Amino acid sequence: MRSRRFRLPSSRFHKATILDNKSVGRGYFRLVLRALEMSAAALPGQFVMLRVSENMDPLLARPFGISSLPSRSSLELIYRVVGRGTSLLTQRKAGDSLNLLGPIGNGFPLPEKDATPVLIAGGSGFPPLHFLSAKAGSRAHLFIGARNKDCLPPSGIVKSFRDTAAKVHLATEDGSAGKRGMTTDLLNAFLNEMERKTPIVLYACGPHAMLGAVSRIAAIHSLPCFVSMEERMACGVGACMGCSVAMKTGGYKRVCKDGPVFDSRDIEWSEQVAVKLVESR
Amino acid sequence: MAAKFKIKPDLSIDFAGIRLKNPVLTASGTFGYGEEYAEFVDLNKLGGIIVKGISINPIKGNPPPRIWETPSGMLNAIGLENPGVDVFLRDKLPYLRTFDTAVIVNIFGYSLEDYVSVAEKLDGVPGIDGLEVNISCPNVKAGGMVFGTNVKAAFELLAAVRKVTKLPVIAKLSPNVADITDFARAARDAGCDGLSLINTLLGMAIDVRCRRPRIANCTGGLSGPAIRPVAVRMVWEAAKAVPLPIIGMGGIASGDDALEFILAGASAIAVGTANFVNPRATLDVLSGIEQFMTEQGQGRLSSLIGKVETG
Repeated sequence: MRSRRFRLPSSRFHKATILDNKSVGRGYFRLVLRALEMSAAALPGQFVMLRVSENMDPLLARPFGISSLPSRSSLELIYRVVGRGTSLLTQRKAGDSLNLLGPIGNGFPLPEKDATPVLIAGGSGFPPLHFLSAKAGSRAHLFIGARNKDCLPPSGIVKSFRDTAAKVHLATEDGSAGKRGMTTDLLNAFLNEMERKTPIVLYACGPHAMLGAVSRIAAIHSLPCFVSMEERMACGVGACMGCSVAMKTGGYKRVCKDGPVFDSRDIEWSEQVAVKLVESR
Repeated sequence: MAAKFKIKPDLSIDFAGIRLKNPVLTASGTFGYGEEYAEFVDLNKLGGIIVKGISINPIKGNPPPRIWETPSGMLNAIGLENPGVDVFLRDKLPYLRTFDTAVIVNIFGYSLEDYVSVAEKLDGVPGIDGLEVNISCPNVKAGGMVFGTNVKAAFELLAAVRKVTKLPVIAKLSPNVADITDFARAARDAGCDGLSLINTLLGMAIDVRCRRPRIANCTGGLSGPAIRPVAVRMVWEAAKAVPLPIIGMGGIASGDDALEFILAGASAIAVGTANFVNPRATLDVLSGIEQFMTEQGQGRLSSLIGKVETG
């Protein structure tokens, strides 16, 4: 008779106790969850799926990038309050527990010891890069872009980036903080001027339009570039086929199972950007 | 201390000639090919797995965004992305066969010939217990629901598939019709052994600020707890109309949800969208059914089928 043995249920799905869930400014909350095995396994660039309540509405779990590991047994998520799901999440208190699935995805390939990692964060895409910068060492350069000062990451995060990275380069579209303009222009100028004594690797997370622009800059400078993609997602285990990203080879890949980190050269940016421009009209 | 003996309720069902150890199946398209959930669920505990739909050739699927969350539900327009029947047989089925659970293969196509070709390829393959014929996908332009919303086309397609396979044939019906019993009867007349219902309800959501549909395909299939009352009603109607056994599905997330379908006339049930929300949903439904049976002093699940009292 056919009957494959089943190992113990995976530690990748369980109830996790909230240790902390507080506003950290600029519309963001910092959520710390107790999750022993997940914390031990988590890599920069990976994410978790979190259900904000046990109710059927809202139904689906939400994906959140892991922003750091505050201890050996906990995960930190920094989330922006954007809709009903995240609003409900802000009401959950320390001691409550939530259904947690993770860590999910491949994570960023870590830079070689002698490399200069260049991290580019757009909008609310900074959490996975925050985790990466903690691992990438003091050689890292960090580019943060936002529409205006109020859309930047919380000041505590910017400070923590300043503490770990070689330099933080800020840009806002209206010039209310850092340089006026697009992060990608700042990045391009930086790469033009930079002496190429060591190999440079780009890591980016943010809106698709920004990721597409970073990808073009990487191609112009012939630099390796890894992008963390975001797409609407239901299951987080590769079954629903909802979180598809178009590939240059013609088909689609899943953010949850094949990503979220992709080599920027593999992505069919024309489809990504077309979809997103239509969406944001 | 007096030991309290309880006889474990008998949940086994003979469904259209397929022996199921319990009535809990997985709805096609929500459980991949089993392996996606194998780290969370002991697949040996499931009555069966209905795999994601398989076509004769690989299908790329629709452009994103493909899904949108709705009140107690979700819209999807995946577009039947799948690796094709040959890759399924080579890479997916051997893994599924290592488990002690029934394997039902969902098939679909863009034409009658496509369906027949897949059915022919799967006939006589060891490890396949039945075919579920998807005549109800709302997210592809040709095939799918075109067959499922036209009684004559449905009959012809199901009869053609029936002719080329010895496997039990289960017709998966579309809820996007005026009278589900017309299609239940067409499936019976075509020689089908069972019915699956419901597939998703055709729906649409709009981003009012962008004035654009929420999903790239414009329309999508609605699933989840939001559709359960519609599904229970249609199972009840179909069960009264034809003697075929029914796999009931649509928003099942608990034992009580499953029992609604069984009392309405389903012999088995499938857990769908709930898998996305809770990877162990199938086992929660199974233990919920067991608990209900014990509480109610019911020995056999089969004695509850269709036993809703409407008088």
